[in-house]
Amino acid sequence: MTGPGAGRGAVSRPRGVAAFVRARRAGWERLDALVEQVGAGRLTVAEVEELDRLYRRAIGDLSLARTAFPGTDAEGYLAQLAARAFAALYRRRRSGWSRALALIRSEGPAEVVRHGRALALAAGLLLGGLLLGALVTALDPEGFAWLIPAGVREALAARRLWTDDLLTAAPGLAGGAIARNNLSVAALCFALGLTGGVGTALLLAGNGALLGAVLVAAWRAGLGPGLAGFVAAHGPVELSALVLAGQAGFVLAAGLVTPGEWPRRKALARRGREAARILALVAPLLLLVAAVEATVSPAGRFPLPARIGLGLGLAVATWSYLWRAGRAAASASAARAGRGSSG
Amino acid sequence: MRGDDQWPVETPEQVALSLPLSGVGARGLASLIDLLAVFLCWMVGLFVYSIWGDLLGQVQGLSWIGQLLLVAAVLAAGWGWDVAWEVAWRGQTPGKRALGLRVVRLDGAPVGLGESLVRNALRVVELPLGYAPAVLAVALSTRRQRLGDLVAGTLVVQERRFDLSRYGAPAAVEARWVALKVRAPGLLAPADFERLFDFLLRRAEFEAAPRAMLAKRLAAALAVRAGLEPPPPGEAEPFLEALHAFASEEP
Repeated sequence: MTGPGAGRGAVSRPRGVAAFVRARRAGWERLDALVEQVGAGRLTVAEVEELDRLYRRAIGDLSLARTAFPGTDAEGYLAQLAARAFAALYRRRRSGWSRALALIRSEGPAEVVRHGRALALAAGLLLGGLLLGALVTALDPEGFAWLIPAGVREALAARRLWTDDLLTAAPGLAGGAIARNNLSVAALCFALGLTGGVGTALLLAGNGALLGAVLVAAWRAGLGPGLAGFVAAHGPVELSALVLAGQAGFVLAAGLVTPGEWPRRKALARRGREAARILALVAPLLLLVAAVEATVSPAGRFPLPARIGLGLGLAVATWSYLWRAGRAAASASAARAGRGSSG
Repeated sequence: MRGDDQWPVETPEQVALSLPLSGVGARGLASLIDLLAVFLCWMVGLFVYSIWGDLLGQVQGLSWIGQLLLVAAVLAAGWGWDVAWEVAWRGQTPGKRALGLRVVRLDGAPVGLGESLVRNALRVVELPLGYAPAVLAVALSTRRQRLGDLVAGTLVVQERRFDLSRYGAPAAVEARWVALKVRAPGLLAPADFERLFDFLLRRAEFEAAPRAMLAKRLAAALAVRAGLEPPPPGEAEPFLEALHAFASEEP
């Protein structure tokens, strides 16, 4: 179509691409400079009018270049310039902070409530693993010994609480390490959703079993109160965060396992967006956990009842907040949908 | 450029604009460059500091709050690097600029502070897993977004650098090529013009033998199109130069 043999071309075709560019180039480069200024600082009213005029001209030039000079650098340059100018002219103000706030206030909790089955599955696996670990270790001390890290086993044998080593040396540094460790377990829980949820399930049940086994083993070694004192303040919230991460993993897995009428790729992207909203809740929760674990949990700073109260209170507050905010967001969107269909 | 790697932007002017999305390779390379730059900054900073102070002793001397803040600062530095550059350079870090990438919002506008904070904060989730989730997400998602992009509503687009000087005023042409002048208009389609100019621009990079062969073939093909005798072997490049000059002229 654009080849040289396209007969009538010699008459109807606009002048050559080089001449076209030379005639228009100054305007494009001025537009480019104005677009740069939009980001960098303020424009005068005259400059804004000029920007608008030049943008419209560039759009016209782009249409011309698309039909007359397809595949040339001139067309590529104009397409890029027009896209940048468009973004500069029509930008909508939506601050990133309000977006982050909306994630925590309504969008995240709404997903948590909406995917109740994934939540129940994650919580069930973690608690089931915990009970199993505790039961097996109670009946047979060696049963789950292989699950418990060697350092912890040695410390238990010496009747010493390993958490003392962890936190008396440098509480602050340990706090940072703990936050990172929790984050990577939570991230793994989510990412293993890509295994169709099998990896997430194993990780949840395994972590539960480990915790159950360690708790019972410590209790048998007579270290129960010490360990309970250590985990009481941050444990409940930490487990809650893990359950949420597991839920996100199962939501992601649903995109792979039951894509419904969507192609798997699209289903995964869609579920991934929903799961990301749940993960957006996990991050601040884990920060809270790390803060509590580094400040309140080390021995001797606060009495045991205060710690238990704090731990349970934080967990109850977290879940009741998620439940209320999620329900509110769900009913708000249902109301919107209802208005949309009736009117 | 593959067709599915474009993110369409709707305009009120009814002209379809699209942003070319960048893939895993370029983004990985860009973040490697940034990682290296952060690492070098730390190395230089620690080296300079250790000339004057006893680093380890001072860290141990801090209270636990101080140490917590220190760890937070170390973790935040890598984060702050990306955020600071992306805000200052409107969506580009040094690595991204080197590879011509830019972070933009879904509507094509440059990222703001909030979006940059969110998209880079979620790196924490990907980093411990060796960026595997990020690579997978960029490869699988239709908008080539990683987790952070998904949450912040951003895209990473590939910008190309175009040099309009190739359309500059034509050079003077020797008199012996005048026969071409009549036939030059209409001889080259716009895309052919570009390829011819690409060859003329880059011919210095070729070895002598392939350069002469390419010039001969191009000249022969174009001469046949123009209905002229193919130029003698040594004259191929002047022939092409003349053709380019005529095609650049005002009609």
